[in-house]
Amino acid sequence: MNEATVDDPGGDTARVAPLVELQQVTKRYGAVVACRDVDLTLRAGEVHGVLGENGAGKSTLMKMLIGLVQPDEGRILVEGSPRSIQDPQVASALGVGMVHQHFSLVEPLTVWENVLLGETVRLDQARARRLVAEIGEHYGLQVDPDARIVDLSAGLRQRVELIKCLRRNPRIVILDEPTSVLTPAESEQLFHTLREVVAREGRAVALVSHKLAEILHASDVVTIMRQGRVVEHRPTGDATAASLARAMVGREVSLRGEAAALGALDDLDTPVAEGAQGVDQRPVMLRLSEVTLRRHGVAVLDGLSLEVRAGEVLGIAGVEGNGQRELGDLLSSLLPLDAGTVEVDGGRVRCGRAGALARAGVAVIPEDRHDSGCVLDMSVAENLVLDRSHLVARSGVIDRAALRRRALELMAEFEILAAGPDAPLRSLSGGNQQRVVLARELSHRPKVLVAAQPTRGLDVGAIEYMSARIRRAADDGIAVVLISTELEEILHLSDRIVVMSRGSVIGGMTRAEATAERLGLLLGGVAA
Amino acid sequence: MSESVAEDRRRDLITVIALYALCIGVALAASAVLVAVTGGPWRSVVSALIDGSLRKPGRWGQTLSEAAPLLIVALGAIIAGRSGLVNIGQEGQVLVGAACMALVATRGSGPLTLLVALLVGALAGAVWSAIAAVLKFGRKVPEVITTLLLVFVASQVTGYLLTRQSLLLDRDPNRPNRTQTSGQLDPETRLPVIRVFGNEFPISVVIGVLLAIGCAFVLNRMVWGFKLRMVGQNPRTAQRAGVSVVVAGSLALAVGGGLAGLTGGLMLAGGVANYRYTTGFSSNVGWEGLLVALVARNRPLVAIPIAVIFGALRTGSGFLASTGVGREIVDIVRALLVLALLAPSAFMFLRERRRASTAATSRT
Repeated sequence: MNEATVDDPGGDTARVAPLVELQQVTKRYGAVVACRDVDLTLRAGEVHGVLGENGAGKSTLMKMLIGLVQPDEGRILVEGSPRSIQDPQVASALGVGMVHQHFSLVEPLTVWENVLLGETVRLDQARARRLVAEIGEHYGLQVDPDARIVDLSAGLRQRVELIKCLRRNPRIVILDEPTSVLTPAESEQLFHTLREVVAREGRAVALVSHKLAEILHASDVVTIMRQGRVVEHRPTGDATAASLARAMVGREVSLRGEAAALGALDDLDTPVAEGAQGVDQRPVMLRLSEVTLRRHGVAVLDGLSLEVRAGEVLGIAGVEGNGQRELGDLLSSLLPLDAGTVEVDGGRVRCGRAGALARAGVAVIPEDRHDSGCVLDMSVAENLVLDRSHLVARSGVIDRAALRRRALELMAEFEILAAGPDAPLRSLSGGNQQRVVLARELSHRPKVLVAAQPTRGLDVGAIEYMSARIRRAADDGIAVVLISTELEEILHLSDRIVVMSRGSVIGGMTRAEATAERLGLLLGGVAA
Repeated sequence: MSESVAEDRRRDLITVIALYALCIGVALAASAVLVAVTGGPWRSVVSALIDGSLRKPGRWGQTLSEAAPLLIVALGAIIAGRSGLVNIGQEGQVLVGAACMALVATRGSGPLTLLVALLVGALAGAVWSAIAAVLKFGRKVPEVITTLLLVFVASQVTGYLLTRQSLLLDRDPNRPNRTQTSGQLDPETRLPVIRVFGNEFPISVVIGVLLAIGCAFVLNRMVWGFKLRMVGQNPRTAQRAGVSVVVAGSLALAVGGGLAGLTGGLMLAGGVANYRYTTGFSSNVGWEGLLVALVARNRPLVAIPIAVIFGALRTGSGFLASTGVGREIVDIVRALLVLALLAPSAFMFLRERRRASTAATSRT
């Protein structure tokens, strides 16, 4: 930590002039406020950590800096003068460079070709190779300029992204979740480079992350965001993992407050109390034993074991990208297993076969409903049937009247707002599309319900409805698996909570034992 | 909401009609210019096209005879298209179907032989496109490429059959110039011909219409068609819901190829090339049938009138050539008109996709 920045970051503006200042910036998406009255100051020679859960507004904030998103209110000052950053070209001209969370590299091309992408001048191979080599030398980011991106590991790809960014010589470097795909050693190397960039050359770095250790280790100042607001701003030296975790996920008081605000506190407290005693005797409906699943040689699920009993909600918390998506796909019959077993109600299921899990009684509300939950160009009525066409068909011919009747019943029961059963699903709002998925899945009388990020992107009313439905499913004796990156949701709905990291379960607790701090530490990769 | 949908539909319909009028107008004008420049009778281009396809005695029967194979090929393409697969190898499947049908039909006589031969032709077409399915689902080779390349393989293989008397080559020693043709089908082994008002066409016209109706029913009303659409529009949802993409896709490809193979057999038994299998027998029916499916935008019943229009283009342009316009110019005129028919569908397709993607982005 260098001495210029350990002191109060609010007071010392005269000595270290800020490179960029965001003042009272607000950004809305419809009814959702992604950022509200956010202040952020980036200074030369300083790594500024921006910490927050998924959806706290960090990425939106950075997108405003890079010109991908325009603020609705507030202003952005670059070196003291107000600027309007309409697009990434303007940002680039102002010296803002960003390394995105998801790589934007063209895989079949070589490293130097990728570094040169977007260049409007004549292609100069020799110069490009030299450039890659020079930057690599300078920052310790060695990478073979002629290697193809497909052949590179995630860590090396990250280097290429960094080189792409640094070669434009930006004064302000934004790193969005840079280590989400890196191994610890690769992360270590990355932060070493960052230090170089900052200390030697006086650049300003914004490090966006939800990993506590990373923020503690690599930043000078930290701004903590929650639900679109800045909740804390302090020198990193004053912070501990525990204090950061608490600030990131909010205090328990406020968590309970959220539950009350959602109007579900009544049905929340009683079943939990019962569940804690009764559930243990109920049968295990879903059991995953030592499940391993490899993708491109990487174990995305690594010896994962879980048990869910009838009538309980098991919350699976975890930072995005730790195998949750693959777990959801596995339980949707979309992926075959490499090792381990999946049992539903005592019977072993052959994963990867079309509809194997659905037939065994596993209903799924997928993480991305457009991906595997519905068919947008089919009608509402058809989407309410999908895998149960025999319910509305006789000797292979679909009975349209029966199809409509069933649709109208389910639309009434699940309060689905649509022009009619024949309206294309595409014409419905996100919340109503989600209800269609929910209605279909629950109408099959499943033994297990898997809800993956069930409220993502929904408005408050829809969230409330989904939450109540999930809770009621458990009360009806269904074993519920809730996969979510939203801690509030997990704490609000689950009877038991486990945390997933790098494809396996790294810790578990009952709801009664769960505190925001304990969960926050586990999420940040610190075993509690 | 539903009113605005209806309003949108009406506006779409008007746009489509206006687009067709515009495109065909432009194509005809360009054709007239082309014919005039090359010294032909440009004033009579349109009337020659209509004479040849409709007005002159016996011509509309001819048009229907040409339309039937196009229609059946298109139905096969539509079935594959509904499952999200692009089979563009109909030309080869037609050849294989016709050749295999000829193998059986030239060795016997009578309606039973005809029936068996047609089935063999259909089966051959199905097997031929199933090769693409095996490569697609077994080795992840895109079916667009394999079906296309299999056309050239088919053309060589069936060409080989025509070099051996033991296989397909005509065995009649008295016929001169019998290279590259098979023996003629026995009159007993040909399709019945329907005669109305001085026009005649083989019964395959009726078969084609019945197949289109059947195809529409299966795709729109039956569970199988529902599953096929599911696979075509969202394979991952289908897989989750228990519809195997591999099974449904392979079946769709095979049925599509089977229909193309059947087309080949029906053409041969319906009198194309004087009831003989020859090289170049398919005369682009496979390609044009594919275009019919494209213009009909994968709707089987719409394919019926579209196939008739394409059939009319074939007979009309043939007649145009007989009015003294050069063969090459006639081909260009025909190509221009085909383009004019394709452009509006392409436009509608692009617009729908843009609408879908804006709808998707506005939600996130």
